[in-house]
Amino acid sequence: MELLVTLRKRELLEKVLPFVDGIIVGKFFTSSYHCSLKEIVEINVICKANQKKIYIVLDDFISEDDIDALYKYLEFIRKLEPDGIYFHDLGIVTAAKKYGLSDKLIYDGKTVACNSLDTAFLLSKGIDSVVLSRELTLEEIVRILQNNPRQIDLQIFGHQRLSYSKRRFLTNYFNEINKEFDYLDKEDLFLVEEQRDYKLPIIENEEGTFIYSDYVFEMFNELPDLIPYLRRGIVDTLFIEDQTVIDLCCDLHRLTGENKSFLRDNLYQNHPDRYSSGFLYQRTNITKDE
Amino acid sequence: MSKIELLAPAKDLQKAKIAIMYGADAVYVGGKFFSLRSRASNFTIDDLRELCAFKKNYGAKLYVTVNIVFHDDDYEGIREYLKILDDMGVDGIIISSLALLRIARKVAPGLECHISTQLSSLNSLAVQTLKEYGADRIVLAREASMDQIKKIAYSTSVPLEVFIHGGMCSNYSGRCVLSNRMTLRDANRGGCAHSCRWKYHLFEGDQIISNPNCLLSMSSKDLRASAYVEEMIRCGIASLKIEGRMKSEYYIGQVVKTYRKMIDEIGLYGHLTEERLAYYDEELSKAENRPSDDGFLSGDCDHSKHLYGINGAGVTHDYVAYVHRYDEARSLCMIEVKNIFKRGDKIEVFGPEVDNEQFTIDQMFDQNWNLVELANKPTQLLFLRIPFKVHQGDMFRKVSL
Repeated sequence: MELLVTLRKRELLEKVLPFVDGIIVGKFFTSSYHCSLKEIVEINVICKANQKKIYIVLDDFISEDDIDALYKYLEFIRKLEPDGIYFHDLGIVTAAKKYGLSDKLIYDGKTVACNSLDTAFLLSKGIDSVVLSRELTLEEIVRILQNNPRQIDLQIFGHQRLSYSKRRFLTNYFNEINKEFDYLDKEDLFLVEEQRDYKLPIIENEEGTFIYSDYVFEMFNELPDLIPYLRRGIVDTLFIEDQTVIDLCCDLHRLTGENKSFLRDNLYQNHPDRYSSGFLYQRTNITKDE
Repeated sequence: MSKIELLAPAKDLQKAKIAIMYGADAVYVGGKFFSLRSRASNFTIDDLRELCAFKKNYGAKLYVTVNIVFHDDDYEGIREYLKILDDMGVDGIIISSLALLRIARKVAPGLECHISTQLSSLNSLAVQTLKEYGADRIVLAREASMDQIKKIAYSTSVPLEVFIHGGMCSNYSGRCVLSNRMTLRDANRGGCAHSCRWKYHLFEGDQIISNPNCLLSMSSKDLRASAYVEEMIRCGIASLKIEGRMKSEYYIGQVVKTYRKMIDEIGLYGHLTEERLAYYDEELSKAENRPSDDGFLSGDCDHSKHLYGINGAGVTHDYVAYVHRYDEARSLCMIEVKNIFKRGDKIEVFGPEVDNEQFTIDQMFDQNWNLVELANKPTQLLFLRIPFKVHQGDMFRKVSL
């Protein structure tokens, strides 16, 4: 398994690079990735010089009006010669052909890659790998991995995206209540529902509004057994403090079946947060009749 | 102008028949399994078979939703199910699982495969990808503007389907698992709790910054695309889709009939005057249970297109009775009570062949010919005289004074 980390600050690169196999960066359409094109070029050079891989994330939906801009961005990506492109919009499959990038595509549907057959379908169409949805149980993940060994990526750490809207929930809300507030791209805003105490991070940017899990997903205990079957494991650093990211990458780099409990305890003690196994042991197939 | 399909939802057999009788060219329904909207009283195989026979008489089409986001266990029985649908004469399936494109081709080659809005197809490139994967029709994402829809339509030969009316997800369809987190109900497998319509406090760090008198909600107004129907016909959209598999027969009847007449009028005269559009909007508002707007069709969705503090606003006209029989010789009508009404109430009748004809309730009788002053027992059958011809399937609504 390649260990990858999303890089949201240029200055963290040298600190995490020794521990990871590759870096995920993005700009333009992508949500919550703050590297400029110039920084991406620089990061690419450093990664290649250090024999590390670089992946570009392009994980937003593309409107028809943005297709020309998409082509320009793909031309930029092509010149980087990246190791992969994480994408969300199926239009990227067609667009990537034009730039000879088809074999670099990694599908990250966020919520719609939930089974072995859809995964196999995409792989048969030339998609390099598929990132599984976050709402799967461990049992379901294992089954899909067994059916498609070494062709699956998984988010192994971080807040999980719960929703993605083109609507500007914060802009609209502040307009509704006639309040001026500088909220764009802010990372310390949370929603708390009237009847529940979950504190859900919410971010609005040019592409829309994104809501994330209140907890930080971690799978130290489960990961060692999955490593032989996984293609890539992704550490999503959104909302995570810099020192936590550095220590985490170091720990995941040396994670084994023997030290998993020790490293997990370290994380919990040194960087306390609301950690959770997310949906790994929690089925979400209750219907309204139940 | 091309012939466009008016596609209506149906929760059960009765509503599917009403949709077709009121002018839908096609209906989409869910089976007991593999379908979103778990609370809808989804169709048994026998129901589907009966509907297949019914729709043939009207030259209508039937599409079955197989649109959950499948987990591995959910595929159990899918091949047999698709084969049954194909054999009985279902015209197509609406899917979000790409693997079903391959499975359906193999086991049920007579079924068209329509890509659900769950895959949020928002551009011509995505349409092209799905075409190459084998899709027969693609439902566009509700986030596309009318201008964008036109560009997509002009760039592809794949039939496109566009939502024109009904409730809308506030997030990209299929890209929301808020319900999973909040209630353990899988939003993409028929269990959505509509957490987006709940109210939320907004915090900056530990500080509440929301207005306690107006909490944040992601709730969107319903879609009403009546003003865009003409453009959609002109740009070659294949199908205009009404949302609402949970909705009542009254909603289905009123909304389907209104769009049917609108489409036919555009077909006849080539366009719709502002006056006529206003008339049709007024008709649609009679079945409105939530404020509506044109969503992303006109571009962005600003705060005026959101609902703060309210969820549903209730219908503006009460649906009070359904016509079962009419004896023309005696002007006697048998109706089923749906909501309360009484002698002296002013009633408007509408149906596939009746356009908002009004009368005042005089004498009503129960099945033992006892006089009834107040109709307040839902499902009760009553008899009354009506001064004009009505038909089985027509509906009564109370006119607000």
